[in-house]
Amino acid sequence: MRKIAMLIIMASAFTSCVAVKEYQMVNINDPDMKLTANKNNRFETNFQLYREGAAGANGGKGGGGCGCN
Amino acid sequence: MEEKVVVDVDVINKAMKKIFAVILLLVSMNAYTQDSTAVYKKRVLENIEIDFLTSYYTQDGNNAAVTGGIGSEKITDITPTFVIAIPLNDDDVLIIDAGISAYTSASSSNLDPFDKSGASSRDDGNNNSSNTKVVGSPWVASSGASQADSWKSLNANYSHSSDDRNTVLSANISLASEYDYTSFGFGGGYTKLFNEKNTEISISGKVFLDSWQPQYATEINSYIEAGESLNNGFFSGIPILDQNGDLSVKSGADSWSPINTTLLDNTSRNTYSLSMSFSQILSRNAQFSLFFDVVNQSGWLANPMQRVYFGDRDNYYIGEPESIPNYTSSTNKDVFQLADDIERLPSSKFKLPIGARLNYFLSERFVLRTYYRFYTDDWGVTAHTANIELPIKVSDKFTLIPSYRYHEQTEADYFAPYEENLSTQEFYTSDYDLSAFSANQYGIGVRYTDIFTKFKIRGKLGLKNVEMKYSKYDRSNGLSSGIFSLGVKFVLD
Repeated sequence: MRKIAMLIIMASAFTSCVAVKEYQMVNINDPDMKLTANKNNRFETNFQLYREGAAGANGGKGGGGCGCN
Repeated sequence: MEEKVVVDVDVINKAMKKIFAVILLLVSMNAYTQDSTAVYKKRVLENIEIDFLTSYYTQDGNNAAVTGGIGSEKITDITPTFVIAIPLNDDDVLIIDAGISAYTSASSSNLDPFDKSGASSRDDGNNNSSNTKVVGSPWVASSGASQADSWKSLNANYSHSSDDRNTVLSANISLASEYDYTSFGFGGGYTKLFNEKNTEISISGKVFLDSWQPQYATEINSYIEAGESLNNGFFSGIPILDQNGDLSVKSGADSWSPINTTLLDNTSRNTYSLSMSFSQILSRNAQFSLFFDVVNQSGWLANPMQRVYFGDRDNYYIGEPESIPNYTSSTNKDVFQLADDIERLPSSKFKLPIGARLNYFLSERFVLRTYYRFYTDDWGVTAHTANIELPIKVSDKFTLIPSYRYHEQTEADYFAPYEENLSTQEFYTSDYDLSAFSANQYGIGVRYTDIFTKFKIRGKLGLKNVEMKYSKYDRSNGLSSGIFSLGVKFVLD
């Protein structure tokens, strides 16, 4: 829990940086810069959900909806 | 009098004209107001978007869980899916996601390895069908009801964005079914952007209320159906062999029986998950996010199809006695070992995955996408997963996307290979998905993008992008798989 708290504090620290203005976000708005998995990767995520003991924290399911782990 | 009426009608006509003029003015003002607003409030989604996604997956390995951790893991799976995003108005979007996963599985087929058209089609050589022997093998796909199935799913997600686009509320509902499993899910989420949209915090919850329509290993099911007798039902007239290949007695302490004739006592399987994420733009070229899930599952978490063989119990077989010494070899095509029990696992599981993404816009040509996840649960599995993608913009329309993923995990407390669990344990499984292994996945993808959607179908459906990817996945315990995926996005003008 201490590590998680440290992560959150560190993450919060970034918010104090100078904000990037909307007109400066050309590169940030590039489709490849999205902070989510590529839509086409959903099937890979699905078979990994079946074939591995670990799941979640990737925007996909952490369980449920299938007879897998 | 008549003149008065004519004058009154003129007055009324003039008054009506004025009223119409005022109404028209109000309508036009309203329209103008709406147009003015539209200038300042961009629609969350401009047009209806339709994604057609599909994949073709194959795998093979030697540790099928349905046959107790030994046997063919051959699977093929094809998954046509449609995702339709519909803007309901400036602020609200509805996403409908409907898909099918149609698969064939050698492992699942061996729920009944003695199916007549599977391994048991072998006869004794005299062309007399009545003399066809009942045989089976964990290495030969049978053709019972469980050899092919389809998983069908339907999801709906509704989201509402605030006027300043700094708050997003969402709700979703899902349904899924396959022949032995159904799922109903729902959830909601809240996202807040601040710091000039440089920072985003999101929280969401999901509930899945799933249930089994359990299917069992045929020998266990038949034994229970026959009143726990080997002289009735399926086993009537079928010889059972011991480890030496000799005929076994069919009653008494030296005969085969599963150790537990109580199967599922609870068909529900519920999942409750809470997800939190934090995203931050670091510079004009870099941003990262942290994901944190808390997942609790309860109910029947084992798979009732999966057999277990104990190391401290005698072994019994149906089939050819001379193949028993080669049982664990893929050369065994005609003998099958009777299960000691189905997989048993605790009725609750607590999972804690924590993930992070860091994306960096290296140049006009290269983008670096990285992902790492740490996972732990109270069944003893701890895992590390890392993924890296390097989209290369070959031209303004084509992007090449090489990727690499590494995964390693420790084994669950209840896992042991074929014949290594003990009947004295409370929980046991030989499912290699819960074993210790590492896995490497290499992928290559290509994407074609046309932001102007020049290519149109029937003049209205504009092609926005096409993406293809192939990935090869190899696990250190021998399982190997490949997946080809295709995604096509259309925009409705």
